[in-house]
Amino acid sequence: MKERLTVLRMVVIGVTLLAGVFLLYLHARSRPGKGEEITKAIKSKRRNLLLLGVLSLWLCSGFVMGIFSHETEGLTVQMTSPRMNFLGFDISSSVVISWMAMIVVIVPVVLIRLFVIPKFSDSPSKIQYILETAVSTISDYTREKSDIRSNALNAYILTLALYLVGCAFTELFSFRPPTSDIVATFSLSLVTFIMINYYGLKRKGVGGRLSSFAKPIPVVFPFRVLSDIAAPISLACRLFGNMLGGMIVMHLIYQVLGAFGVGIPAVLGLYFNVFHPLIQVFIFITLSLTFIGEAVESN
Amino acid sequence: MNGLAAIGAGIAVFTGVGAGIGMGLATGKAAEAIGRQPEASGKINMILMLGLALTESTAIYGLIVALMIIFTK
Repeated sequence: MKERLTVLRMVVIGVTLLAGVFLLYLHARSRPGKGEEITKAIKSKRRNLLLLGVLSLWLCSGFVMGIFSHETEGLTVQMTSPRMNFLGFDISSSVVISWMAMIVVIVPVVLIRLFVIPKFSDSPSKIQYILETAVSTISDYTREKSDIRSNALNAYILTLALYLVGCAFTELFSFRPPTSDIVATFSLSLVTFIMINYYGLKRKGVGGRLSSFAKPIPVVFPFRVLSDIAAPISLACRLFGNMLGGMIVMHLIYQVLGAFGVGIPAVLGLYFNVFHPLIQVFIFITLSLTFIGEAVESN
Repeated sequence: MNGLAAIGAGIAVFTGVGAGIGMGLATGKAAEAIGRQPEASGKINMILMLGLALTESTAIYGLIVALMIIFTK
């Protein structure tokens, strides 16, 4: 750390800091008064001042961070989550992180159940309106995709969506998302597999479900069974691969930017850590519902 | 061994070519469909998203295989 605190670095930090503050000061001063006319030239000048000011402050922050940062050599990605010691038990860190996500999801839900739902009335308040919209959207979507009217299925789908979104957003707080662990995604898809077979057997019975595999001709029976078994595997691998891929891309961005990783990763993270997981959650519940609907359809 | 593993990972990621072509075709068809029937754009978007996710999964499988080749010892 000593040899990084060179005179040159201090000079660069000072110059960029002063330049940034000065440019932002100019930007603030050039704000046109009430009576003045705002022309295009003034507008573009103010925009350039703001851009340059922010740029030099960004450079300054990068050089300051460079004093404390340490170089990492090469990208190493662990396919499985690291183990950690939790109250004397040796468990996977993704379990602990998903517990945190569950707490964040469950506590507001319990509070709403205890304090808001008893006060529901015919003239809805804001929270009641939001909750009713969410529940009716989910139940409409479930019925449209899977042709099943069931409160249990609606609850499962909404829980799955909330849990997956909570898990994905842990990455924003620099934790490794639990869904980038194949064990987590595979257990979720196994639950979906159980639901597929439960609803299939409930609607058709054992004989009906078996004979539905042998349609249109009996030769396809083994392939239909195989594709049914492959459904949870493909669900799990899709979610796992997408989350791991997003995580690796963000790791790469942080590594490329090094000490200058201020601000820019936040913008890119909006896509890779927020939008992309939301799409994947939507895909996961849609495919779950589609598989369930396939199992119960009458042909 | 390490070099061969890198070549294998590269070949595994080639699944992205097929996924790219497929996604391009799907998006093009969706754009055509919306052009023909703009009022059905909501449903078309939904189907497009689902199709893109299914197409993308081939690329994702390739990615997983490549990562496993590189990072698991």
